[in-house]
Amino acid sequence: MAMNRRDFLKVSTSASGGLVLSLSLPGCATVDTGYSENAGTWRPDAWLEIQDNGNIYFTLARVEMGQGTYTGLTTLIAEELDVEPASIKPRFAPVAKEYLNPAYKLQITGGSTSVATSWEPLRRAGAEARYMLMMAAAKVWQVETDNCSTQDGRVVHPNGIDSLPYARLASLAASEIPRIEVPLKPRSEWKYIGKQMKRLDAEAKATGTAVYGIDIEQPGMLYAVVTRPPRYGAKVKSFNKADVTVHSGVKDVFEIERGVAVVATSYWRARKAQRALQVEWDNDDAITLSTESVFHHYYKDSEQDAGVSEREDGDYAQAEEQAGKVLHADYEQPYLAHFAMEPMNATAWYKGDAMEVWASTQAPDLGRIAAARGCDLSPGDITIHTTFLGGGFGRRLTNDYIEEAAAVSYRMKAPVKLVWSREEDTQHSPCRPAMLHRMRAAVSGNRLEGWHHQIVGPQILDWYITNAAPAQYPWAPKMLYNTLGRVGLAAEGLATPKDVSAIEGAIDYPYQVPNVELRHTHSDPGFPITWWRSVGYSHNGFAVETFMDEIAHELGEDPIAFRRARLQNQPRHLQVLDRVAEMSRWNSASASGRAKGVAVFQSFGTFVAQVVEASIEGSEIKVHKVWCAVDCGQVVNPSVVSDQIKGGILFGLSAALWGEITLADGKVQQSNFHDYPVMAMHNLPDVELDIVDSNEAPTGVGEPGVPPVIPALGNALFRLTGVRQRRLPLKASS
Amino acid sequence: MITLVVNGEKRSLDVDSDTPLLWVLRDELNLKGTKFGCGAGLCGACTVHVGGTPTRACQTPVEAVNGQEITTIEGLSKNGELHPLQQAWVEHGVPQCGYCQSGQIMTAAHLLEQNPSPSEDDIVNAMAGNLCRCGTYHRIVEAVKSASST
Repeated sequence: MAMNRRDFLKVSTSASGGLVLSLSLPGCATVDTGYSENAGTWRPDAWLEIQDNGNIYFTLARVEMGQGTYTGLTTLIAEELDVEPASIKPRFAPVAKEYLNPAYKLQITGGSTSVATSWEPLRRAGAEARYMLMMAAAKVWQVETDNCSTQDGRVVHPNGIDSLPYARLASLAASEIPRIEVPLKPRSEWKYIGKQMKRLDAEAKATGTAVYGIDIEQPGMLYAVVTRPPRYGAKVKSFNKADVTVHSGVKDVFEIERGVAVVATSYWRARKAQRALQVEWDNDDAITLSTESVFHHYYKDSEQDAGVSEREDGDYAQAEEQAGKVLHADYEQPYLAHFAMEPMNATAWYKGDAMEVWASTQAPDLGRIAAARGCDLSPGDITIHTTFLGGGFGRRLTNDYIEEAAAVSYRMKAPVKLVWSREEDTQHSPCRPAMLHRMRAAVSGNRLEGWHHQIVGPQILDWYITNAAPAQYPWAPKMLYNTLGRVGLAAEGLATPKDVSAIEGAIDYPYQVPNVELRHTHSDPGFPITWWRSVGYSHNGFAVETFMDEIAHELGEDPIAFRRARLQNQPRHLQVLDRVAEMSRWNSASASGRAKGVAVFQSFGTFVAQVVEASIEGSEIKVHKVWCAVDCGQVVNPSVVSDQIKGGILFGLSAALWGEITLADGKVQQSNFHDYPVMAMHNLPDVELDIVDSNEAPTGVGEPGVPPVIPALGNALFRLTGVRQRRLPLKASS
Repeated sequence: MITLVVNGEKRSLDVDSDTPLLWVLRDELNLKGTKFGCGAGLCGACTVHVGGTPTRACQTPVEAVNGQEITTIEGLSKNGELHPLQQAWVEHGVPQCGYCQSGQIMTAAHLLEQNPSPSEDDIVNAMAGNLCRCGTYHRIVEAVKSASST
């Protein structure tokens, strides 16, 4: 990474004495965030602060939602600083340009990017800080810096006997400037990276002391709940305020942008009073969609509009003309909910000229935009305090709950905690889009000559841009927010990244086939959508890996042999596929009544192959075992990688077995865990995982476990029953 | 007036008698370790012990437990030492997002009180009502096994 170290590092002395290091990541926006640096001893844009009392603080720019950044990113800096990771105190970053995710130019945690984008800069920051501490010690001892060494938070004298703790060197080190490019440790010297390190947040989470958004308390705090329109797009026409305000503890009942808020002195009183609330809705702009109508429109649009060509290798049309046989399949995949265990919530405190917000959010800078929409302040007047997240899975990239809390606090001029019920989360949250995939294959003899994939459905950025674009230009007046969103869309692929949310995982179809065509027919039913763990890969994985299985069957070939033959230029796919074949003893028959299915898929730079063994028992699909081989480059923490991949597998299986948000007359029909089931311990399959050794740069692990398990299970069921299921979720009987 | 003995301490409360125990613990007594997940007794995140029995605090009106002993995650460790399950949770790195883990541990603690050497089936049967969206179940089974007396 070519970067001038003086641009990269900013060094200063903290008010309490000690060393403060800031870093600038490449590609960051340079706009003024309006951030105030007057925040006591902690310079909030500091990444690393070594205090002269021995405390080492590290600012966690990527939030902790279970995926392990708290441990993994801290390990990166600890390795090069040469201290125990557990001796570092991570703290959650405020909104500041230093903490933008260089992959998005937004301060968001998503896309399995945290380790991949922090790998270089955090190790460099640790290495530079360590070298500055060595320079300070060398001055004290009057020796050569390079003859000093470090060990567990101390600089060691060249005599190998004397040493000084970092704490005593911290303020001296602040005036040192390394004249050399400080080298990073070679892999052979790693003490923490790649080792089985304990999670640094485990104890707080095992004792109930980890603080989530929902745990925030403020003096004089009120509680709010919101009744939202059952049909997206409806507006409040009228409501029976007087019948609600008579309930004990109710402070106020009023309309906000997204519904009618009930504010009370306790959560329970707000909920009880809400039962008495009756809202008449103006449904003029409300959706009336049903699941059937969504797919009806997808089919209609797919026939009227062949879609934008996203990839063209060779000439598919010609291949089809010359083909002995053309295979077709249409795959229908439903809207999916996130169901993070912590329901959506936020606490906002409007103070006239400023607002503070406490929230579990994956996107604190977008949270500022959302809060600004809810009150009369500018984003620069709003401070977002991020907490631990009780799950994210993409849901917490959308900050609608922050906007609501801000709007209610603005009205009440008091701190307000706003909490969604599980039912409200299920029925009013944006979903993983429902998608239609229309597949064709041109086959001659036993040769696959052509592959044609038409994706039909919406793009997520169309929905997300209204808050994302203003977050990139936080100085823009609020009246321009919606315009910025439109400009952002118009500039897609130029000023903003191309929206690949519909096509990722299909555009990078890895198999060697002479004629490949990918088209996206942009069809948006108007139901709110957002990012969902593994995003486009989640539905393209099912389409691509199921159709490959169908073709293999049609050609009478073994599913793994068929894939292998077409992956000869894809060594990392091949490696995990071969490994999983071996682990699962692919060529040995399953026990009677069981069958195995396979899928191999790359997402977020990580290669995953899975074999699923399943049976049908009564009216239920039973998943017995999942074998999984992963190549995610170099591994920072093997336990975290294993947990993320296994967690992803269970997340994917939940979707494959039960996941479906359905619509009727514009309303979501599910409400809670009883009709949107997720994996429970009694459904748990055995999962055997192998992480292949690699010298490649690390890639993401939060999401790549999800996509392949869905087609692998479907492929197993096909082998078991001889019936191909082309609609998710999968059923025990079709 | 409602009286509870929470983690060994007598607490008198002036709250609406139909308030679920969950919100009394969280918002009146500031014991935030017990979590709200579904409000319908479906996920187990709010599991506490009432008179030693695992109970869904979100489905328990506080008046129904008037005068009873309540143990929450905050009361599980004794004499400043982590409960063996909490130690096992740290050792095995069970939590991911961590939000469901208080409920998981409270359910497991009751299991080990009743059955100090549970089989894997016993563990699965006892824990089946505690959902974890991150998918930490494999680690939970390992950790419960390691904290059991076998």
